[in-house]
Amino acid sequence: MNPTPDTTAPAGNGGTFDPRQAAALLDHTTQQARRQFAPAQPWLLTIRGVVVLAVLGAVWLNVRGQHPYQHPTGAVVPFVVAFGVLNLIATVSVRRHATAGISGRTRLHPAEIAILALTWIAAFAALAAMASAGVSDAFVFGRFPVSLPLIAAGLAWAAIWATRSDWQSCCTGLAVAITGAVALSVGPVGAWLAAGIGLCVTLLGTAAYIVWRQHRSMVAP
Amino acid sequence: MTTDDLDPLIHVPTRLKIVATLAALPEGDALSFTRLQDMIGLTPGNLIIHLRKLEDADYIGSKKTSNGSVTITTVALTSHGRRALDAYTQSLRDLLGGL
Repeated sequence: MNPTPDTTAPAGNGGTFDPRQAAALLDHTTQQARRQFAPAQPWLLTIRGVVVLAVLGAVWLNVRGQHPYQHPTGAVVPFVVAFGVLNLIATVSVRRHATAGISGRTRLHPAEIAILALTWIAAFAALAAMASAGVSDAFVFGRFPVSLPLIAAGLAWAAIWATRSDWQSCCTGLAVAITGAVALSVGPVGAWLAAGIGLCVTLLGTAAYIVWRQHRSMVAP
Repeated sequence: MTTDDLDPLIHVPTRLKIVATLAALPEGDALSFTRLQDMIGLTPGNLIIHLRKLEDADYIGSKKTSNGSVTITTVALTSHGRRALDAYTQSLRDLLGGL
């Protein structure tokens, strides 16, 4: 049996579909669809924002007493790596779920995913090359580990979404790149804290924007 | 302005849900028939009836792609359909503002 009533004609009491009902249905459906289609869920962005601040803040606490600067000690490195891995898994899972059945501009092409991965790999390969070339610890284990990947990945992300006119994602990428540039300029100790604060603000700001957009009424001015 | 001035093709609960759902995607994106069906909560037969009406009016476009033995049907709002929804939304605003 078909659970859905005949809806090929205007529905409602007496066969009329009241404009108020239509406005409410339009708003409800639009907001629900926007929530379900959002590749970056606000709750996940909020958690990431808080956790990235905690993790990079912990690194900052770990290194701020070092004179001269050496590198984060073994105690915090596993947390940073674990955060990176969990973040990647959660982001990919949520994005896959949200974009299931969608084809077109919302989905990243394999070539674009490869570009993003390559920017990360290239940034860390550059760090490894600098370490082997004898560049000082303050750069190889301080300023560069947070700034170079953020600048490279942020710019790549911004460029990819700019080609699709997705300005919200483009701005997020630029904010990440700016965070990396600020981290690069504040010294090896402050770089960790600057990156933590910058990423936290970017992620919370993005989450707030998405929530606002999802709840914006289609009909109300 | 009266209710009769609202686009009769969109001013039907199910078709309004279909058009609003597809309009939530960025322009140029398409949605698979199965996911649309999940989101709207209709039987395939019922959904096809509504999609045909919208397609006949060029409000939506559909495409079938074959992936091995599986055929996937995707639907997308056309620019004409997007403009029609915008006009419908504006009409609703005008109507509700006058009520």
